[in-house]
Amino acid sequence: MRVNYERCGYCGACVGVCKSMALELIENRIVIYQDRCKGCKACIIVCPLKALEE
Amino acid sequence: MRRVLKEEYDVLVVGAGPGGSMASYYASKGGAKTLLVEKSQEIGEPVRCAEAVPRLEEFKIEPSEEFVRSYIKGGYLIAPNGKRIEVRGGKTEGYVVERKIFDKYLAIRSAKVGTKIAVKSRVVDLYPCEDGFKVKVLHLGEEYTVKTKIVIAADGVESSVAEMAGLRCKKNPMEVCSCAEYEMTGVKLLDKHMMEFYFGDLSPKGYAWIFPKGDAANVGLGVIDKKKKAIEYLNEFLEHPILEGRLKDATPVEFKCGGVPVGGPIERTVGDNIMVVGDAAGQVSPLTGGGIYLAMSCGSIAGEVAAKAVKKGDYSMETLMEYERRWKERFYNTLMTELKYKNILQKLGERELNIIAEVMDEKLEEIDVKKIVLKAVKKAPSLLKYVGELIS
Ligand SMILES: Cc1cc2nc3c(=O)[nH]c(=O)nc-3n(C[C@H](O)[C@H](O)[C@H](O)COP(=O)(O)OP(=O)(O)OC[C@H]3O[C@@H](n4cnc5c(N)ncnc54)[C@H](O)[C@@H]3O)c2cc1C
Ligand code: SF4
Ligand code: SF4
Repeated sequence: MRVNYERCGYCGACVGVCKSMALELIENRIVIYQDRCKGCKACIIVCPLKALEE
Repeated sequence: MRRVLKEEYDVLVVGAGPGGSMASYYASKGGAKTLLVEKSQEIGEPVRCAEAVPRLEEFKIEPSEEFVRSYIKGGYLIAPNGKRIEVRGGKTEGYVVERKIFDKYLAIRSAKVGTKIAVKSRVVDLYPCEDGFKVKVLHLGEEYTVKTKIVIAADGVESSVAEMAGLRCKKNPMEVCSCAEYEMTGVKLLDKHMMEFYFGDLSPKGYAWIFPKGDAANVGLGVIDKKKKAIEYLNEFLEHPILEGRLKDATPVEFKCGGVPVGGPIERTVGDNIMVVGDAAGQVSPLTGGGIYLAMSCGSIAGEVAAKAVKKGDYSMETLMEYERRWKERFYNTLMTELKYKNILQKLGERELNIIAEVMDEKLEEIDVKKIVLKAVKKAPSLLKYVGELIS
């Protein structure tokens, strides 16, 4: 999973659907813990700004 | 600041949104030594909200000029064919506030009764210890371990804190409304005291809104859709013919986005030494997506229960269950009914929405769902397959 920081609005919606706790919002920066990511794409679905890509 | 993170507490509240500030207010008021931890640099920032709240009297909060931007008397529900239904009075009355100021006002109100606050301080982990939790907090790159008897997780849509303690509160992506919004000035409103709600293909499985906000207005929408993003729908909405050019001269002063959990409350909002409040607990109206009032109400209950538990010296799940019983008594049935309506509403196409709007009176005080559904089915029996369960 990759985040496009230019598009991200740091809203945390993606964090709220990541059951693997692979995402964290640190102030205005999304951090992805790749080792925990299961590739379920839940985060991609809820992102309002198309800021996440596989 | 650092001193605050070096002490032990009775109650540690995570998140200084409306839920956390009300919870910490009542915990402190009840005599518990309380810490409110907020990761943002500034309480109230960033805003992810359309900022409409119902009347605040029951919380003994005066609608102060400091944060109220518009007084709301009701709303227009607008069908895909443009028919407007005016709903006024009762529950639709309230305010549009400046959330940045409102959230900070609630935090200050809590501090005035004794709550200590740590800002730019992020809870990164917690683990149970004898009689409570040890909570790991990062502040300016340094790690602090804060001991507390009770944790109140009010960390909003991100819902990570209770999850760290083993409660399941992450949401299903098809039950989170994905939102984008511009705050704009120069908007031609239908009425400066009325909210506008637009339904149909312009905002699938959600709605678009225009809420008056002083000299500006919040123009946004929420969708649940795998194909297109909220921001794309928003850009189309700004130029949509249904608005008859009312945004032609409007220009944005702020951009906001976010997710609203609309799938109803989570299974369990209490564990040993922990309670979950607000968006994290799914305490959001599934129909409107409004969560400020519920976060404030449920937060108040959680704070009261925490203070009582501290006095009793018992922080077990059984004692804290009083919180879950009380919030469910007040809100569970309404939330579940709204969830049922929302699930039906999401299945209706523009044709069905137009039929329903056609049978509704143009001016209403209250929405009597059963009456409307009966009329609609009479006019178009094909609707029965969607709404049958509401009249059986
Ligand atoms: C676009 C949009 C429009 C909306 N419009 C409305 C509306 O008009 N009316 C309405 O009633 N509701 C609306 N809502 C919903 C409303 O914003 C929420 O329901 C409400 O803010 C929930 O309050 P809360 O206290 O639970 O959480 P929040 O207000 O989200 O507060 C949570 C706080 O916790 C902090 N936090 C999170 N994790 C940590 C951590 N690990 N450590 C420390 N701090 C942490 C966050 O920074 C945040 O400040 C809208 C939502 C969106 C997205
Ligand atoms: S793909 Fe799934 S597991 Fe990976 S970050 Fe997104 S939500 Fe989390
Ligand atoms: S949902 Fe999208 S915009 Fe929001 S924080 Fe995640 S990546 Fe950024």
